[in-house]
Amino acid sequence: MFESIRQFFADRKLRDYATAYAFVIPALAMYVIFVVYPFFYTIYLSLTKWDGAKPVKEFVGLLNYQQLVADSRLWSALSHNFIWIVLGTVAPVAIGLFLGVLLWRGVRGMVFFRTVYFLPVVLAPVAVGIIWKWMYNPQFGPINSTLRAVGLDVLAKGWLGDPYLALPAIILAGVWGYFGFCFVVIMAGLQNIDMEQIDAALVDGANGAQRLWYVIIPGLRHVLTMITTFTLILGVNVFDIIWITTRGGPGRATHVIATYTYNTAFRESYVGYGSALAIVMGLVSLVVSFIFISIRERGGD
Amino acid sequence: MANAMTIRPRRPMGFWIAKGAQYGILILFAVFVLMPFMWVVFTALKSNLEIAQEPLGLPPNWRFENLAQAWNQGKFSRYFVNSVIVTVPIVMLVVSLSCLAGYALARLRMPGRMLIFYFFLVGLMVPFTAIMIPLFYILRDIGVLGTYWAMILPQTAISLPFGIFFMRAFFSGLPYDLTDAAKIDGCNDFGVFRRVMLPLAGPAIAALIVFNFMGSWNAFLLPLIYLQSDKLRPVMTGMMFFTTRWGPDYSMSMAGTLIVMAPIMAVYLVFQRQFIQGLTAGAVRG
Repeated sequence: MFESIRQFFADRKLRDYATAYAFVIPALAMYVIFVVYPFFYTIYLSLTKWDGAKPVKEFVGLLNYQQLVADSRLWSALSHNFIWIVLGTVAPVAIGLFLGVLLWRGVRGMVFFRTVYFLPVVLAPVAVGIIWKWMYNPQFGPINSTLRAVGLDVLAKGWLGDPYLALPAIILAGVWGYFGFCFVVIMAGLQNIDMEQIDAALVDGANGAQRLWYVIIPGLRHVLTMITTFTLILGVNVFDIIWITTRGGPGRATHVIATYTYNTAFRESYVGYGSALAIVMGLVSLVVSFIFISIRERGGD
Repeated sequence: MANAMTIRPRRPMGFWIAKGAQYGILILFAVFVLMPFMWVVFTALKSNLEIAQEPLGLPPNWRFENLAQAWNQGKFSRYFVNSVIVTVPIVMLVVSLSCLAGYALARLRMPGRMLIFYFFLVGLMVPFTAIMIPLFYILRDIGVLGTYWAMILPQTAISLPFGIFFMRAFFSGLPYDLTDAAKIDGCNDFGVFRRVMLPLAGPAIAALIVFNFMGSWNAFLLPLIYLQSDKLRPVMTGMMFFTTRWGPDYSMSMAGTLIVMAPIMAVYLVFQRQFIQGLTAGAVRG
């Protein structure tokens, strides 16, 4: 036995392999125990009916998934994610691109503007939510107070209490917290654009819009794909800011898949059904990531 | 002054209009960012009566004692200590494990290397929500629920895929001559890693530290589920409970919010470059 171990370590190649594995194993162990195993455990739980307390988890097969398909609350939550993804991607990327192009050739105060735009990015989504909950406060919140101060009392409303306005209002808060990120990344991308191409376009008589569309945006292709992937993943996973501002209300007007899953599994204790929702969420992010990776691979040169 | 004006070439009117519009827009967005911060500060330093009378303007009396009151009543000292107690080990674990694994997956020879790497990469696509439910029962069964480990362990694990991805990309980019030279001088693999590679990885490690520090300091859902006891609560969930409890007391809620925001903003203003690099690390390198 000892002889074979000694032989094992005497073999240089095997000893190198052992060292290499020793580098990887601590991370691998953590990852398997706290990510991979729970993921399969979620799949198992999604096939059961369980309240989290009973000793027995009743196996029900695909029953939870059959219920999911007919669950209008799931579809409304997913539609809110969809709205979040579309608005929460287009708005910050457009603002970031716009500001990036304005600041591209450098203006006085560049560092100041960058510092300010990035400021909300360092805040936790929880803080962003609390700040904007105050902004939207129906009684004394700055938005309504400003409207009243300029005589537009009719426009003052309970923003987060209105089923039609609540979701756009939270998305605006999210954009406030996020566009600075897009701006900084786009600025970094703009530095890599070939100035000669811009000059060539100028010589050819391209106007501003044409330069933007034919030279700048193609030059930023990689950066824009990257940001879009980020915002998409954020849009699928959004939880904190909604939980802080509305907890999914009024009614179900701002529930998204993550808040619905959390609520079902931990507050209503439908652990089995909540797990099925969690699997749906996993699948959605898998599909989204997959689409974007393939677009990136195809577009990459 | 007059001289300086004449030396400069004359610009056409259109140039100044464009310049003015450019600055106008830039300033408009700066105002959009800064106004909410301003109102947090103003509201925090007023009394509730003053908020009702004058919700928009400057505080008539700057009541800094509101901050002290919120600090004491909100138990913020405990929340901050809790946040430090969970964040420091998380960042240390993520950075050291990611460096080790990222290095091995980039530079060392072993069977199944790419397979292990792809296995980690899949983890980038698994959202926390997809594993949060059974994790609660797993943490309960191994007996760490009710301790700080209930956050440290899962937060470290979910941060590893990105950390490994990031460090592997960095180590792959380093030249091979360096390692060969060190090996000829008699370094073993760990020696090469520690003496040659790690010192070069400073900027990448700094970015990873910022990224993970922010990730676990700002984490909300994870402590909401696994650190439910008030004794263990970190700042983010602590702040939520504080503002919920003091809901209609706007001045107290905003004072609490200001207490939580101020330190991170101060650190950001000092270490701006590192913050921006760290937080955009994933996107810019891609």
